[in-house]
Amino acid sequence: MLTGDGLQARVRGGHRLAAWPRPLTIAVLGGVLFLSAFIALMVGTLGPIGPGEPEEISFSEAIDAIFTKAEYHWVFWNVRIPRVILAGLVGAALACSGTAMQAVFRNSMADPFVIGVSSGAAIGASVASLLGLSVAIGLFAPPMLAFVSAILAAFAVYMLGSVRGKVYVDSLLLSGVAVASFLGAMVSFMIYVASQQFHQLVFWLLGSLTLASWDIVEVLFFPIVAGAVVVFLYGRDLDALLLGEETAHNLGANPESLKKLMLFVAALMAAAAVAFVGVIGFVGLIIPHICRLIVGSNHRTLVPAATLSGAVFLIWADALARTVVAPTEMPVGIITAICGGPFFLYLLRRSSSGRGV
Amino acid sequence: MRMDIRNLSFSYGSSKVLGNVTFSVRDGEFVGIMGPNGSGKTTLLRCMTRYLPADGGSIMVDARPLADMSPREVARVFAVVPQSSATDFPFKVEDIVMMGRIPHISSRLAGRAKKDSEAVHRAMERTNTLQFSDRPFTALSGGERQRVIIARALAQEPKVLLLDEPTVYLDVSGQFEVMDLIKRLNKEQSMTIIAVLHDINMAARYCDSIALLNQGRLEAYGPPNEVLTADAIQSVYGMDVSVRRDPFTHAVYVMRRPSSTSGRRHGTRVHVLCGGGTGGPLMRLLLDGGYSVSTGVLNVLDSDFENASDLRIPVLAEAPFAQISEGMHAENLRLVDESSVVVVAPFPVGPGNFRNLEAVEHALRSGKKVFLLAPPQGETIDFIGGKADEYIKRLISSGAIPVKDAQEMLDMISRQER
Ligand SMILES: Nc1ncnc2c1ncn2[C@@H]1O[C@H](COP(=O)(O)OP(=O)(O)O)[C@@H](O)[C@H]1O
Ligand SMILES: [Mg+2]
Repeated sequence: MLTGDGLQARVRGGHRLAAWPRPLTIAVLGGVLFLSAFIALMVGTLGPIGPGEPEEISFSEAIDAIFTKAEYHWVFWNVRIPRVILAGLVGAALACSGTAMQAVFRNSMADPFVIGVSSGAAIGASVASLLGLSVAIGLFAPPMLAFVSAILAAFAVYMLGSVRGKVYVDSLLLSGVAVASFLGAMVSFMIYVASQQFHQLVFWLLGSLTLASWDIVEVLFFPIVAGAVVVFLYGRDLDALLLGEETAHNLGANPESLKKLMLFVAALMAAAAVAFVGVIGFVGLIIPHICRLIVGSNHRTLVPAATLSGAVFLIWADALARTVVAPTEMPVGIITAICGGPFFLYLLRRSSSGRGV
Repeated sequence: MRMDIRNLSFSYGSSKVLGNVTFSVRDGEFVGIMGPNGSGKTTLLRCMTRYLPADGGSIMVDARPLADMSPREVARVFAVVPQSSATDFPFKVEDIVMMGRIPHISSRLAGRAKKDSEAVHRAMERTNTLQFSDRPFTALSGGERQRVIIARALAQEPKVLLLDEPTVYLDVSGQFEVMDLIKRLNKEQSMTIIAVLHDINMAARYCDSIALLNQGRLEAYGPPNEVLTADAIQSVYGMDVSVRRDPFTHAVYVMRRPSSTSGRRHGTRVHVLCGGGTGGPLMRLLLDGGYSVSTGVLNVLDSDFENASDLRIPVLAEAPFAQISEGMHAENLRLVDESSVVVVAPFPVGPGNFRNLEAVEHALRSGKKVFLLAPPQGETIDFIGGKADEYIKRLISSGAIPVKDAQEMLDMISRQER
């Protein structure tokens, strides 16, 4: 997800920085998040657990179902609500992780997956489905394996891209590409072998929130919120890092440990999110990028703004995934790619043609 | 604040970049670090800020070892203005300056305090950058950016301001703008300044002391007029220069001599008769054109005498204000005989140097090519009661060739060569 410097320069040129004060920006985004989550609760089909046709319910029926012991009360509380929360958490994790990665790489085309997290998770998920671990051990076994292999892949990229404990972002980038393509080939091979579990695996690879549950929300909630807080607390250091490692040092930040900490936290957040819901692309790239264009690069504003916007974006993407082909649903990763790709191109064109005006 | 650097050394792997650098900086001093490219100037600054770990030696700030300080403490001692500060990321100018407060904000949870905003405001006021506070940093010109970066350094409220070639990417007015700003900070805020400077004359003009680096070693340290000698510059930069004093500021300034290896020497000797500064540009042009040049007879205090010495041209000279003696005149005639061309600058003619015109007559009689440069005002400056112009007319009628300027003269000499 990296392109030449000229392209970046065009993306970054010619914009205006928002004049809103930070608390207002964050309050507005928080409001939008709650509203989005509420609307997303209402849309889509609801079916009985088990056999039977899913059906559309009206807005007032939905309200009833949430707040009273009406017909769909249980489904709402155990399927719909955790799913919306999970969508928000995953979107937040990916966007926050992407923001941190972009700062570490000093490149607004970096995303959470540049250091091999997604391909590492994919290997874990493939092995798990090849061995049928969800049946043999339990429902949480595949995501755990995906998480562990994602972290291992990130660690491998880190080791390959650093020299004597020093992180060189350029070599990190290259080793990320190398490791990702190697693991990608292995995943392809496993898909080829595992024709039995093919459908399940492909669904994971495309990214999907169908398996959402309170259990998953419980597992993910703390690490993702903690990760976002850590990135926010190091916001000023990240600002300095964007001006170069020497400047960061001269401003009293420690660029080496800062880079390591941020890579660690960002990889952890992305790996945790991806392990459960599969590879959801574009969120971690476009959300930080768009937020940067709107609120500027000051991380004390950017990190909360991107985190909240990521949550909002994925909640809407998932709501779409649940409704466009109702009564069935699409993998949300396809929605993010379909929305994200063209929108990103539109941004590119707009900001490059708007330059110098 | 007093800083003592003792035996500072640094190597990149096995290649030694700094060796035993030792010097002290007084409070409020303006120190220039000079030296050719690759001599270790940037490395020296980076060792001071501990961005690079020194192999050996020590830096004491007010008798306290820098090595004992935390990174944030170091960032409160030194603020750095790097050579260039390019970022493609959208930051408001005010955000950039606010970054200078990072080493002062004690808690990650804390927002900016009132004193941070005040320090930023003061820094922007002093650097005259308040007016673009809300503009994107990327939208500023080079000089404006450099001022913003200096503002950030000031917001850091450092004890020492370090600058690495702060003017290198700026145009001439930008260079003076930035240097004057630094000098003002030095004078008015008594901010200690250590600046890597490229331009020798700029350094001589602004600095209290100069540290001259050569291949990682400190060649000399002291006031500009002691450090910037022609010999030192010759040995460090391998450049042939003459060092003079600015008559107004008394700062030393350095002029490059045309290198004797430049251009082909074709052996044609040209003898120049000049005086009062009329011969300086002429002799330089001739040297650049590859001619061997001699001149005479001049007085020792004459500016053409200085010009000739700077250019390392053989010169005949009398004591200050003395008339051309018989012996010196004979020498002059000998130089005329040895050369193939004689050039006469429109020098002021007086009783003291009248004999130079007789030397022209001698040249004409012995069949030399003689060129007479037209005086800028149309008339020769004459201290001998109008006889000079008459004399010159007679020279022209006996074959001296009048030319309107040095270029025409050069053209005619080279045409005659072929
Ligand atoms: N990262 C590096 N690795 C190896 N050698 C370096 C590095 N940076 C600079 N050098 C070498 O160190 C010497 C001094 O460099 P520097 O301090 O940048 O010189 P200056 O600033 O005086 O031009 C040069 O010979 C240069 O080649
Ligand atoms: Mg340098």
